[in-house]
Amino acid sequence: MDQETVRTICYLARLEIDTNKSEKIQKDLETIIELIGGLQSINTDNVDPLYSPLEKTALKHEDIEKSDNKKGKFLKNAATSNEDYFLVPRVVE
Amino acid sequence: MTIQFKSITELRMLLDQKSISTSELTQESLKLVKKYKELNCFVTMNEDVSSKKASVIDQNKKTGSMLSGIPLAQKDLFCTEGLRTTCSSKILSNFIPPYTATAVEKLEDAGSITIGKTNMDEFAMGSSNETSYFGNVHNPWKKGYVPGGSSGGSAAAVAAGIVPAATGTDTGGSIRQPAAHCGITGLKPTYGRISRWGMIAFASSLDQAGPLARTAEDCAILLNTMSGHDLKDTTSLDVTVPDFLENLNNPIKGLKIGIIKEFNLSNLESKVQSCFQDSKNLYEKLGAEFVEISLPNISASVPTYYSIAPAECSSNLSRFDGVRFGHRAENTEDLNDLYIKSRSEGFGDEVKRRILIGTYALSAGYYDAYYKKAQQVRRLIKNDFDHAFKSVDLLMTPTSPNTAFAFGSKGTQNPVELYLEDLFTISSNLAGLPAISIPHGQVNSLPVGLQLIGNFLREDQLLNAANIFQENSDFHLAKPTMEDFS
Repeated sequence: MDQETVRTICYLARLEIDTNKSEKIQKDLETIIELIGGLQSINTDNVDPLYSPLEKTALKHEDIEKSDNKKGKFLKNAATSNEDYFLVPRVVE
Repeated sequence: MTIQFKSITELRMLLDQKSISTSELTQESLKLVKKYKELNCFVTMNEDVSSKKASVIDQNKKTGSMLSGIPLAQKDLFCTEGLRTTCSSKILSNFIPPYTATAVEKLEDAGSITIGKTNMDEFAMGSSNETSYFGNVHNPWKKGYVPGGSSGGSAAAVAAGIVPAATGTDTGGSIRQPAAHCGITGLKPTYGRISRWGMIAFASSLDQAGPLARTAEDCAILLNTMSGHDLKDTTSLDVTVPDFLENLNNPIKGLKIGIIKEFNLSNLESKVQSCFQDSKNLYEKLGAEFVEISLPNISASVPTYYSIAPAECSSNLSRFDGVRFGHRAENTEDLNDLYIKSRSEGFGDEVKRRILIGTYALSAGYYDAYYKKAQQVRRLIKNDFDHAFKSVDLLMTPTSPNTAFAFGSKGTQNPVELYLEDLFTISSNLAGLPAISIPHGQVNSLPVGLQLIGNFLREDQLLNAANIFQENSDFHLAKPTMEDFS
């Protein structure tokens, strides 16, 4: 892993790392990647991945409309909103 | 009358005998929070609502449930309507949830009183409670020592006797390891036993809520209430919930307990080994039989976990972008800049590290090598457990390789050093199995935990074995002096 890869991952994750921490982060990531890279030595030919311990498809239930309008409470948590929407910096000029 | 260090069953008796009112009990508990403020185990208090609810319960003469009037603390990862929920992160430091997590709602509907929200590792990512935005939690047994993590505040609050029990969550050991370090009992139930709705997700296929308490019996009381199918969580199991209290005193003669061959316990500190041997001897005296059993892939649990958990974390934590809730950076140029600055200012170093690892493991070209590979190894680990439980009822390991350690003494140079703290606990999360930690001795005046792992949905067997152990020993009755905190 090099600094360029660290910068790419940071951008994908929408994170910014302080310049003075960049080398430490690179070293930490290398150490962790080395740890998980150890799995390569395990033979997993013809083994299906186990994405959830339950392995059942999600239970379905009837889609019943509920009138539980908490719009005001949700909007209140945003740093900026008007009475209907969350507000963000202008996207389209 | 002091209520400190009393269990739920003891407090229930005091309430039923009218030796104490619910209001008095609640106020005593709140006073203890203030007295031991230095422990730093609470992030937000719920004083007014607690006092009002206690008063209503006192006025209502009807007999309530086992939990009616019992003060509890909730890990600050469970959403609580109207009560700040931070996940011990700057990014959620101003978040007021519009709804309550199902697990907490069930406890509150049963009459328990949420006195406050407990400190934790930021977004439950840590094994020492040192990653919290709100500062370290002290271990009640020794000032300046970690309580374990991530449910460190909950464990410390119970160990200090402030509340008889608290909620926690366990993604790789986050209930069991702090329970072990603080000398209390902590249960991670089967994945799906308790609804995850309203729990702020870290790694969705591993996260599970559970109780921390002074005894296995109290854990059974909480599990009875917290369990059950919830339509709002599609991974919640639609199965009958047994009465865990009814199954606490079954004889354990003939109970087969497996010792995992691949965990080389001779590497552990000799006194930790002695505790383990003594507990084995006690179980044998009580009629259990031990067999050594091989789980060939279990040693791969830590790398498997540190591929899967960060991958799920990077996906789950993408919702924190400064737009709809949480911290928003100021003076941003555009929407992308707002995302980057809000997240960078809002998350701490460990959370960032895990998001980056997860992003890397899920990125094009690496997905198969890291994420898919880990999920394949996960199946091998689960297969090993399935095979083991054909010949044993329970598995027994130490909960943690060590006792609690001093702040800053681990993982600062190499994060993997701290990840290995979860060596014995991680595998049951990967396989979705229930596991419990009970105190079984002390080394240098710090508690040591014993872990029992059960088969799928067999919390009844775990709690029974833990309760029988506690009926025949007194390790769970040990209390910290709290001299350093008074």
